[in-house]
Amino acid sequence: MNERVIPWQPTVIAGPKQALLVTPETAKMMMKKAKRPLLVIGPLAKEEPLLTHSIEIAEKWDLPVVTTADTFKIFSERNVETKSYGTVEILNLLKDPDWKGVMGEGQHDLVIFVGGIYYMASQGLSTLKHFAPHLKTLTICKYFHSNADASFPNMNDEEWSKYLEKMKLN
Amino acid sequence: MAPKPKELKADFWKTKDFKISIGDIISEDGIESTDESSVVMGPTQKPNVTDLRSWDMKLLERYPPFYSPFCDMCCLCTYGKCDLLNKRGACGIDAETQQARTILLACCIGSAAHSGHARHLVEYLIDKKGDDFPIDLGMDIDIEAPIMRTLIGKKPKVLGDLKEALDYLEEQMVHLLSACHTGQEGSSKDFESKALHAGLMDNLGKEVGDIAQIAALDLPKGDPEAPLVELGVGTIDREKPVILCIGHNVAPGAGIMDYLEDQELEDDLEVCGICCAAIDITRYNHNAKIVGPISKQLKFIRSGVADVIVVDEQCIRTDVLEEAKKNNATVIATTDKMCLGLPDKTNEDADIIVSELISNQIDGALILDPDKVGEVATKVAMKTSGERSKVQVLPDMDEFVELAKKCTECEWCVRVCPNSLPMMDAVVATSEGDISKMEELYKNDVCYSCGRCEQECPRDIPIISMMAKVGEKDLENQKYNVRAGRGPVQDVEVRKVGAPIVLGDIPGVIAFVGCTNYPDGGEEVAKMAEEFLERNYIVVTTGCGAMTLGEYRDEEGKTLYERYSGSFDAKGLVNMGSCVSNAHIPGVAIKIANIFAKKPLEGNFEEIADYILNRVGACGVAWGAYSQKAAAIATGVNRWGIPVVVGPQASKYRRLFLGRTDKEDSWRINDLRKHSEVAGEPAPEHLLYAAETIGEATVMTAKLCIRPNDTSKGRQLKLNHYIDLHKKYFGTLPNDIYKFVRVEKDIPITYKRDVMQILEENNWKPREIPQEPSLMDMKGD
Ligand code: SF4
Ligand code: SF4
Ligand code: SF4
Repeated sequence: MNERVIPWQPTVIAGPKQALLVTPETAKMMMKKAKRPLLVIGPLAKEEPLLTHSIEIAEKWDLPVVTTADTFKIFSERNVETKSYGTVEILNLLKDPDWKGVMGEGQHDLVIFVGGIYYMASQGLSTLKHFAPHLKTLTICKYFHSNADASFPNMNDEEWSKYLEKMKLN
Repeated sequence: MAPKPKELKADFWKTKDFKISIGDIISEDGIESTDESSVVMGPTQKPNVTDLRSWDMKLLERYPPFYSPFCDMCCLCTYGKCDLLNKRGACGIDAETQQARTILLACCIGSAAHSGHARHLVEYLIDKKGDDFPIDLGMDIDIEAPIMRTLIGKKPKVLGDLKEALDYLEEQMVHLLSACHTGQEGSSKDFESKALHAGLMDNLGKEVGDIAQIAALDLPKGDPEAPLVELGVGTIDREKPVILCIGHNVAPGAGIMDYLEDQELEDDLEVCGICCAAIDITRYNHNAKIVGPISKQLKFIRSGVADVIVVDEQCIRTDVLEEAKKNNATVIATTDKMCLGLPDKTNEDADIIVSELISNQIDGALILDPDKVGEVATKVAMKTSGERSKVQVLPDMDEFVELAKKCTECEWCVRVCPNSLPMMDAVVATSEGDISKMEELYKNDVCYSCGRCEQECPRDIPIISMMAKVGEKDLENQKYNVRAGRGPVQDVEVRKVGAPIVLGDIPGVIAFVGCTNYPDGGEEVAKMAEEFLERNYIVVTTGCGAMTLGEYRDEEGKTLYERYSGSFDAKGLVNMGSCVSNAHIPGVAIKIANIFAKKPLEGNFEEIADYILNRVGACGVAWGAYSQKAAAIATGVNRWGIPVVVGPQASKYRRLFLGRTDKEDSWRINDLRKHSEVAGEPAPEHLLYAAETIGEATVMTAKLCIRPNDTSKGRQLKLNHYIDLHKKYFGTLPNDIYKFVRVEKDIPITYKRDVMQILEENNWKPREIPQEPSLMDMKGD
């Protein structure tokens, strides 16, 4: 089996359904197609280089951003406006089809995740996989997330960095 | 000055709200006696599975279960495996209901572990002391068993009385477990109601267990000045024969201490423990030592320091026998929960067992008699210790450097680590002779030595043995202490702090509990406790959590236990004891309802829980919860109305209870004083919340101490801490602050301008402060 698509933590495998492995190109296609995408950034993005990468990706695609845990602080210090929620709080809202989204314009149809603690993100993606059929999930961490709808593969830092650079291009 | 307890008694029992004044006689010597026939029983004495369902539904309406399936499948019967992703199983169950079923199962397991333990203790202690041995927790504790009194409707007077509570809960547990069978419950909410019942039974079982041991073994009886006991790998004298006890049941350890005392051998041997057995043995005898929490287990066994390993029940490594064999240590199993395939030697002569063990005729022994365990463990340790010290159990560092060179940097150790810890980097650095990265993982138990990395390593690098070796480097510094578990809070303390807690002047009671499955080691938890202590909260703790708090020293080298008093008061750090002592946490909240608000307890669960939810600003923190017991404990305290914050790994428990602040109707409350329903506030906002980082957890914990009942002065204080902490970890004022301001007087003075601005932005309008906030007697009830 291809090493790149065994979940990063192999035992999170949950069942027959596995995420689709995507390249930056496919990921960008998904974002272009989405009407109300949302970027959810977790605490691993408090550190560089992910901090700058995620800010630049958000800017490039004009994505509304939710920061989880206490990630809000460093983003606001960098003058990047984000909405702060606990991971489980934003997931709880995302799974409600009637929620109006962070912009108040309607529930999101694509949620892009980056920088969450792997196992917690995996659990959260499982929540959305089961209970939020109204939206798609995409993860752009350097780990394969089998509970997402679409995920980057397992990668080393160098390759991941290239992937994230590509995410900043059209 | 706090009033003397006995002076207050008459006052306490003869209040207008208390329905049972007829039979309460103040006798000549001032000691009140209760004529049980006159106790007016509330509506739910010995509640059955469905009796508290309406309360549960209220909680679940406000805090709907939030599920994160750990697995899409179910494999519980042979129709399966069934894939439940967006479809039902062959029995008709859907994914949500299946999660709830799994939660119930986990709570049943956890609850049974505590109650089985309690049953063992009660039977053993009755056997030793007699059915009629009095339960007397001393002058300052009258409400010995608040949970039992609420649920069973009686105060236990002698050990034999505890059996009634056990009989009751064992019956309940059979029904609850049976509901997990295929084709029983079909509603997730009803499964959750049953899980809450299992949690409540867990709370009751723990109370029975701890009260039995406190009374019969003369453990500290709510003593705020219980002595400090030694903690840490470095406190163990390795020159002496060493007996290590692992688990949760005090009986075998107590048997060992008794034998040593009888034989006057106390100074010749070291008796130490890991997990709650350690806590309880030191409550029994302060000469015993605590190695540390569960995270020390495999490292310490590997270090080979223990000559004899005595295991009892719960959270023990099931490969303990294989691990012990690696360094010729002897294993003695002591309960029916863990027999390890060993021959039952309970009825054998002690000296014969000793000779069979030291001649390796048997792999270890199962001895179900704690007194005999004491004799055999001591004799074996004394006979084998000399021999064992001659063999070097761990390779030396040079050898480890060579072994580390086998590493191919495949990274599987990191991928299988529950916390994705950078073990590969540590191994690679070791291969270059640099052990600093290994040390980083060793310190504060950042790596809690679960052993998964070592199991996975294709090159068979003995990672855990390396960790054990690294730990030996700096023994001098691994010496800490912890205040011996004091058991329940005294009534007199509750009298003193009941009002400030309920009115909000003491900003909250925070309980650090549970295991050490921390995402980033123990130090950040201890610092979180320190943060709240400095802010005048009351901090209570138990079990492995209590040890974590003891393993941290400030710049002056002092532990938290040396810096803060053991009183249940602002700035008090109260170690209640072991896992079973967790019962005293809801216990003290119940006492507040009873002593301060004069709510009758007997058969009156719902009113008490309603009181706690709306008026007692308490919050649990189980940052490293891992076990099914932790699931049961949290679920139980949730039913009493106490919220709990857990760590990121607890998302693997599959279920949280989350409120929605945007659903304003869900926060409506009934003001009992005015008999009218009014708009409420999200206080507490969640009942079971998983945070991702310690900063998030800290801020959420402060927020979850807010209650509708706070006076404006109390609310100001609570909001002040909430804002301070939010500024510290998030850099700004919390933008939901307007939800917790009822009238302008609620706004903390220091932040007045900023808060006013947020209020304006949100079109805030003042609202009435309810006099007696409650969820009882709401429309539709
Ligand atoms: S219990 Fe139900 S869901 Fe589970 S395997 Fe059996 S039929 Fe399938
Ligand atoms: S022992 Fe467990 S916690 Fe420690 S590094 Fe290995 S897998 Fe991780
Ligand atoms: S699993 Fe073993 S070989 Fe692979 S990186 Fe870890 S220590 Fe090295």
